[in-house]
Amino acid sequence: MADTPEAVQKSIRTYMFVGGVLFLGTIITVLVASVPWLDVGHHGFDVMDAILGLAIAATKASLVAAIFMHLNHEKKAIYWIFGSGFIFVIALFGLTALAKYDPIHDNFFYDGKPAPAVEK
Amino acid sequence: MSSHATTHSGHDAHHDDHHHDPGFIRKYVFSTDHKMIGIQYGITAMLFLAFGFYLMMVMRWSIAFPHQPLPEWMSWVFTDSWKARWLQDGKVTGETYNMFGAMHGTIMVFLGIVPLGFGAFGNYVTPLQIGAPDMAFPRLNMMSYWIYLAGGLVMCASFFMESGAAKSGWTNYSPLAGFADGQIVNQWLAGQTQWLLGLVLLITSSLLGSVNFITTIINLRARGMTWMRMPFFVWAMLVTGFLLLLAFPPLEAAGIMQLMDRVAHSSFFMPSGLFTKSEGLADLSGGGSPLLFQHLFWFLGHPEVYVLLLPAFACVSEIIPANTRKPLWGYKSMVYSVLVLGFLSFIVWAHHMYMTGMGAAVSTFFQTTTVLISVPSVVIITSMLISLWGGSIRFTPPMLWACAFIPMFGIGGLTGLPLAFNLADLHLHDTYYVIGHFHYVVAPGILFGFFAGVVHWYPKITGRYMSSWLNHLHFWPSLVCMNIIFFPMLLQGMAGFHRRWYNGGDAYLAKAADSANVFGKTVAAHIDMNILMSMGAWTMALAQIPFIINLFISWKTGRKVESDNPWEATTLEWATPTPPGHGNFTFDPAVYRGPYEYSRPDCDKDFLPQWIEPKREESADAADAAKTPAAHH
Amino acid sequence: MEIPYVVTPRKDTGLFNSKIAIWLFLASEVMLFGGFFSAYVFLRLGADYPWPERTLPVLPGLINTFVLIGSSVTVVFAWAALKMRQWNKFRMHMTITVVCAGVFMVLKGIEYSVKFHHQAVRLHDYTVVEGHLGYEMEDGKHVLDHHGHHIEENQIRIEATGLTFSTVRFHADWVEEMITQAEHRKAKITLASDIKARTEEGSSEEVTIAKAGEPLSVELLKRVQDAHLKARAHNGALRTAALRQEWAEAKAANPGKRGWQLASNVNIDVKALEDSKRMLTEISTASFKVEPAARMDFKPRDVKEGATQSRLRDDTVIDGKMLASPMVFHNVDAIDFRHLAMKAVEKGQDPIVAIENSWLIKNDEFARKAWEWNKQEVAKLEKKLIDEYGIDEKTGKPKREPTAKERYRLGWQDLARKAESEGHGKLGAVERITEEFKGPNYEARGKETFPELSVPREEIRFASKFTPSWNTYYAIYFTITGLHGLHVIGGALVLAYYLLFGRKMYETNPEWLANRVEVGGLFWHFVDLVWIFVFPIFYLM
Repeated sequence: MADTPEAVQKSIRTYMFVGGVLFLGTIITVLVASVPWLDVGHHGFDVMDAILGLAIAATKASLVAAIFMHLNHEKKAIYWIFGSGFIFVIALFGLTALAKYDPIHDNFFYDGKPAPAVEK
Repeated sequence: MSSHATTHSGHDAHHDDHHHDPGFIRKYVFSTDHKMIGIQYGITAMLFLAFGFYLMMVMRWSIAFPHQPLPEWMSWVFTDSWKARWLQDGKVTGETYNMFGAMHGTIMVFLGIVPLGFGAFGNYVTPLQIGAPDMAFPRLNMMSYWIYLAGGLVMCASFFMESGAAKSGWTNYSPLAGFADGQIVNQWLAGQTQWLLGLVLLITSSLLGSVNFITTIINLRARGMTWMRMPFFVWAMLVTGFLLLLAFPPLEAAGIMQLMDRVAHSSFFMPSGLFTKSEGLADLSGGGSPLLFQHLFWFLGHPEVYVLLLPAFACVSEIIPANTRKPLWGYKSMVYSVLVLGFLSFIVWAHHMYMTGMGAAVSTFFQTTTVLISVPSVVIITSMLISLWGGSIRFTPPMLWACAFIPMFGIGGLTGLPLAFNLADLHLHDTYYVIGHFHYVVAPGILFGFFAGVVHWYPKITGRYMSSWLNHLHFWPSLVCMNIIFFPMLLQGMAGFHRRWYNGGDAYLAKAADSANVFGKTVAAHIDMNILMSMGAWTMALAQIPFIINLFISWKTGRKVESDNPWEATTLEWATPTPPGHGNFTFDPAVYRGPYEYSRPDCDKDFLPQWIEPKREESADAADAAKTPAAHH
Repeated sequence: MEIPYVVTPRKDTGLFNSKIAIWLFLASEVMLFGGFFSAYVFLRLGADYPWPERTLPVLPGLINTFVLIGSSVTVVFAWAALKMRQWNKFRMHMTITVVCAGVFMVLKGIEYSVKFHHQAVRLHDYTVVEGHLGYEMEDGKHVLDHHGHHIEENQIRIEATGLTFSTVRFHADWVEEMITQAEHRKAKITLASDIKARTEEGSSEEVTIAKAGEPLSVELLKRVQDAHLKARAHNGALRTAALRQEWAEAKAANPGKRGWQLASNVNIDVKALEDSKRMLTEISTASFKVEPAARMDFKPRDVKEGATQSRLRDDTVIDGKMLASPMVFHNVDAIDFRHLAMKAVEKGQDPIVAIENSWLIKNDEFARKAWEWNKQEVAKLEKKLIDEYGIDEKTGKPKREPTAKERYRLGWQDLARKAESEGHGKLGAVERITEEFKGPNYEARGKETFPELSVPREEIRFASKFTPSWNTYYAIYFTITGLHGLHVIGGALVLAYYLLFGRKMYETNPEWLANRVEVGGLFWHFVDLVWIFVFPIFYLM
């Protein structure tokens, strides 16, 4: 618990370290996006770059949440609160994206051609 | 009442109040007392409800008598100049009907029911029931109220502007809502834009409110008030708080994006190549998605109906045990149900969107969750019903309303099931069936629950009972009228009446008088119901007059209460003085047992309040109470 | 009365009130930004135009990221200092935090303002041209509007002969502008004919509200408006009463019939009403002559232009033929064929052929040369990629190929590189760095790099500044970063308040101040956390 002055004193180094990691992470993200030989996937931006970039961002974000926002040792109530927000934001992302990916296909309506055969 | 406050808590808080009189303004207008704020919410919300009701009365005229001028007993409210702008030869035009329809929905949902249930009842009762001196953040509480009022006024102000108020339905779908009022050069003075501004304010108010509620419930419970000793009312408010907290922000996002669409001409919700009659080919970049708005709207929209409903559940579930003199049946299963209900309500939203071209997989998912969510609702309503079984029921005025709530809400809930199935929904979508369904839930359901609540807590607020005679005069006509208005809607809906026919199906008849739908039902056979329903609606307005009289007359002349606990109830709000002073309790409240200890065999009286100290070590419960933390040291 | 657990945590939950509250608030913030980010995903997946990837200048974004991360570290240090009761350290760290917020907002402000002054246009064939518009000049001087602002050379020009205003809806500011323009062109706008009206019920005299020849003014329109609105209200009441009367008679004559069965036969006798002289005259429009016919300019968004008649958004009708109304780029700084190429591929055409048939290539010498240059550059890049990464043996295609952006877009850096290779517009290091923040330096690089271009109105499909209206990418970019900016400002204000006014609380109840700073800090970290996602999503993807 970082609540007593002594414990806080001890955490200072952790904060410094995490700050450094965050700086480093940012530089890596930019390098990955701009230096050709660090480019993953195809040439230029593609899904692989997106995944890598978001993975780095997610790591940085979890560090901020865990260390700076003390989520690594928090009370149960806080986990409940934040967890509920987190679950529903995932639901919002997942289900809207799902609805986007699973439409009734346009050609069903006006293409004139029969719908593509379903592979068995 | 922490260690700093020990000197204070020794005092009589009520007594305290008289010593430092905060002055009229601080006490009645800019009050930070949760009870006064609750009353402010209540009165404001009722005024908005009356306004929304009036809009509906005008609409019902247009539906029943589409070609006839609005009669003077309704149109006297408007100035000649307003009538010349919005009524054509005194007749309600389609545009005006749309405006009234959109604002009726908006006002009833956002400005009426939510503030009444969550703002008024939640504010007044919750801190009392958990034994807290006030909300955790009294000033934030005050701010919530004022932001709510500002939001409401901003929305309604647009009635008096050149553009008129919003006209795109309470759901405000783009691209319609993105274009409406496009002729207004200064978009900040267009009704459609003000609707969004008002909405953003209302959401802000709700967010502040829900943060306050949840914090209060988590942290300010009295000594011994463990989670499973909280009255069901408090549980319902806790879940309502979470629904507001987490469901509203995506709509706020949608509102901000639509505001951008209107004032910064972005295309969040505007597809490419949009062509309208008023604008021609839209001067917009396009590339946006109207469906996105629907997703974000209904992500709130569905939890929102539970935000409306849960406070009514909350009121009724307090009133039933107090008047049956037996514990609430299945308290724990009700608590778990309300939690499940809260969770599920977040993942059912797209059942409002079956007609948008979603694929089978997504539709099936949402159909499944929608059918699932009826389970916890039914558990709750069944528990309430079973609570009546074998009780020695006192038909007090609040109990009257509570008893009517159960079957009325039952009709509303069960008529929703066919809409959950996407096949049935294809037929019923956008018909009066839908209107009938959700009005059964909201009007005779939720509103009856709130009337019950008003009558139930009135003695605590004022120290006097409401008149039982006037209450009967209010209740019976209301019950009859509600069914006259809404039951025919279900029939009309199945006959294919579209919900947006501003002339009640008359224009349809002119074009297709003898058409019948798949059930062989015709519009012609059902159109005369319009007149019956409208008569019912106007009669119901009359039926509310006894209530208004009762509300004010009883304040001064009602029968005085004999004690602080007139209904002989068990929850903590009845342990306070009547009316409770600033700071609520005159003693340091502690809780020794569950919330509904009625008719205990080991007890002389038929109720054992939560705050009565046990005479001896009763059970493990009492030992718990001594251990539970509380932090009063 | 005192609220418990303001300072000390409650024992069973272990939390003080405001800590619960801030986490609740953050949960709702997660949902709020979640809503926006899911909108981003939805819009990007569904975009029917080439999503402008990696389009923002990275350097300012990168610096802002550093600034925010740094401030996140110092705010946690400030809290730690309070916990250890070191006031001076707290003050230092908090000051740095607030200064960081200031730096962040300044950089953001520069980024925004560059975009707000940068024009883009999408032509009918989906070619996109970006650059800087010129201003209307006359005799070497800027033309000013009635507010005294410069007018961009992007106006709908109409040789106006007549103006007809809606007396209900006319927009006063536009009226003022028309008066100013007419004065500037030495023309007079005068009322075309007398406006006479019956203003009192029953009087057979018509009152002259305005005389033919009166000059246009807002006051005149307001005068007519008053008469019109009064008449409208009066007549409305009369007509309503008449209709009520008709209905009463119809119902009496047809007992048992439903309203909808009678409706078609129930009408007001308008002529009788008018003959009775009880109706007042409604004047819904007022027409003016422009003499001599004079050029008037209108902003494209305000007007629906037609060959002989145009209409403003406030229902003002302008008679007169439309003049050539080109959009004039003072400096073109990018030519983008991505959208055109995408449309060509959708139609099954060869994008290169489509580009070479585009209006721009056919009509503009510079664009043609730049495109030729670009083709060589792409060929070089293709070769380089094959040399470095080789060819996939299965498909026979190169493993890595140039992106659509490299193939079809000539950004300002490309144009600068092209000009530099031709020996034009070389810049020093400082100027180059400044360009990273403030966009291309037109003056130093000159017209050889960023030439002029005049686009005829009929070629334009859609035009906008780089504001939310340009496309959904900029819409979501401005909305998310704008909202994030508001959070930065809000957070900084709160933290600055603790810094400036916290001393008293520090002396009386330091733990309370520490709690407050912890809560403020939690919010600050959240703001940082949002930026951690915003930066890669908008700047690098």
